[in-house]
Amino acid sequence: MNWRFRGRCWLFGDNLGIDGDIMPLRFALARETDPMVLRDHLMAGIDPEFPSKVAPGDIIVAGRRFGQGNPHIQGFLGIRGHSLGLLAESIPRGSFRNAINAGVPFLAPCEGITKLCQTGDELDVDFENGLFRNVTQNIERRYTPLEPELRAIIALGGWKEHVQKRLASAA
Amino acid sequence: MGQTISEKVLSRVVGRPVHAGEIVHPVPELVTVHDWYVVNFDRALKEFGVTRLFDPDRVLISTDHEPVAVSPQSAERQKKVREIVARYGITQFYDVGRGGLGHLFPVEMGMIRPGMFVEAYDTHVTNFGAVGALAIPLVVEISEVLALGSVWLRVPETVRVNLHGSLPSGSSVRDVAQKLIADLGDELIDYSVVEFGGPGLAGIDIAGRHTLCNTPLEIGAKSALVEPDAVTLSYLASRVKDDIGLIASDTDAQFRAVIDYDLATIGPQVAIPPTPDRVRPVAEVVGTPIQHAFIGSCASGNLPDLADAARMLSGRTVHPNVRLYVTPATQEVAREAARTGLMEIFLAAGATITQAGCGPCAGGRIGGMADGETSINTGTRNDVGRLGGATGDIYLASPLTVAASAVSGAITDPRTLIIPESKA
Repeated sequence: MNWRFRGRCWLFGDNLGIDGDIMPLRFALARETDPMVLRDHLMAGIDPEFPSKVAPGDIIVAGRRFGQGNPHIQGFLGIRGHSLGLLAESIPRGSFRNAINAGVPFLAPCEGITKLCQTGDELDVDFENGLFRNVTQNIERRYTPLEPELRAIIALGGWKEHVQKRLASAA
Repeated sequence: MGQTISEKVLSRVVGRPVHAGEIVHPVPELVTVHDWYVVNFDRALKEFGVTRLFDPDRVLISTDHEPVAVSPQSAERQKKVREIVARYGITQFYDVGRGGLGHLFPVEMGMIRPGMFVEAYDTHVTNFGAVGALAIPLVVEISEVLALGSVWLRVPETVRVNLHGSLPSGSSVRDVAQKLIADLGDELIDYSVVEFGGPGLAGIDIAGRHTLCNTPLEIGAKSALVEPDAVTLSYLASRVKDDIGLIASDTDAQFRAVIDYDLATIGPQVAIPPTPDRVRPVAEVVGTPIQHAFIGSCASGNLPDLADAARMLSGRTVHPNVRLYVTPATQEVAREAARTGLMEIFLAAGATITQAGCGPCAGGRIGGMADGETSINTGTRNDVGRLGGATGDIYLASPLTVAASAVSGAITDPRTLIIPESKA
């Protein structure tokens, strides 16, 4: 798995709701879990054009409580569908687990990250070691990376792959 | 370095000392799943090719979200649940009429002890903290636990809340539980266990402690628990056969924060739509007309909750524009409510009593709201549509406030009606 992302920054504010802002609730209710379906609706409540603007390797930078609300996984599967990375000032517990379970590379909490970049900046982020570099503004920061055990789940592709591996080694 | 209650519980379960922040794979001593999720976990396990549970004797299933099948589809689902329970050899199956709401009756029946570690599908399993157990909700990842016996957890930090003083007349623990989450706030509480202690706890019974442990997860807590004490021991004495050990945080334990909270200042509170932490003094919403009222749920469906409502309803009748549902949380609560005359008061007042379980709070399949109606109730959440109906306002309050409002036909401060003294 490549943990190093070099792409454009997409900056968002605080308290983005997992249902509505990041992904329409109807996909959670329909239990849709295909990242290639969900990618077309990512950030529908904030910027309906977002799916057509982003490219693989781009990085979502968000404020506090990214993915707050009833912890549905669909928004994070949408992020995965675009192969995006994620930096957030904080992610509530349910969504933190869902980001891992959806196989999204991320760093959180990243104190003050929304002050260090603007939409369109070129970012260089090493999710394995917690290194953040804003190439455009020439800023560097170090954040605590996820534990190797949690990164291993992301590297496998998410929760289903992780459970399958555990089952195989238990057999 | 000292440990919190949660750190001690997880250390015992994983067999080595652990502290907040570490990743562990603790094996729960009990796993609970509710009727509505059984078909889903069965489907998930089938997709993984799993045919056996890690330990069927540690799994408890309760029929509580829809205890009485009210449609052909519901009857079919119940039939499937019974078939799945039998196929996996799950021994602790509490079907309709047996236990009631699965977040409460295991405590009543003495299955939950101080320091025990439990995992569950449903979020409000944190109620088990009422007797000092650590119970953590996992939602869909419960399938991994059922198959493999564990899932990764980060050992949580703890926010310690020390309660002081005693409640004023007309207020109840429900008012405290609502006000507290609004005061603490989601930034402080996220990913933590809320641990209750302090001298004010001595005046709060086990039913009240269920209520205290029920609300913090609404703002992102991982769980909540009460430091067990003499009240806990006296409650469990007739229910648990084994020796009961107490558990407490060390004096040098590391807390994320220590909060002192004065009970004497808490008046009746109402959570306004659409989230449980939008809490206001009742005076701000007094006079709002209602058509629907409900007393029950895992937050406020215990015997003392029903007794509070009955004191308010005694000698009064529910307003003609209002339908009031009363749902005893468990079979034992229903039986005691019948034995002590509460049921007679509810029926004389014109209330409707439903089967033990979640009642209308589980999506409004039983006794729900219509579009555009307004409800005040003791349920856990007030999202739009929680009680059925695509639109409409839901207010959350204590059993006293809900009963007073049901009588008046509009949201009412219970202190403005004469309340007979408790007989207890």
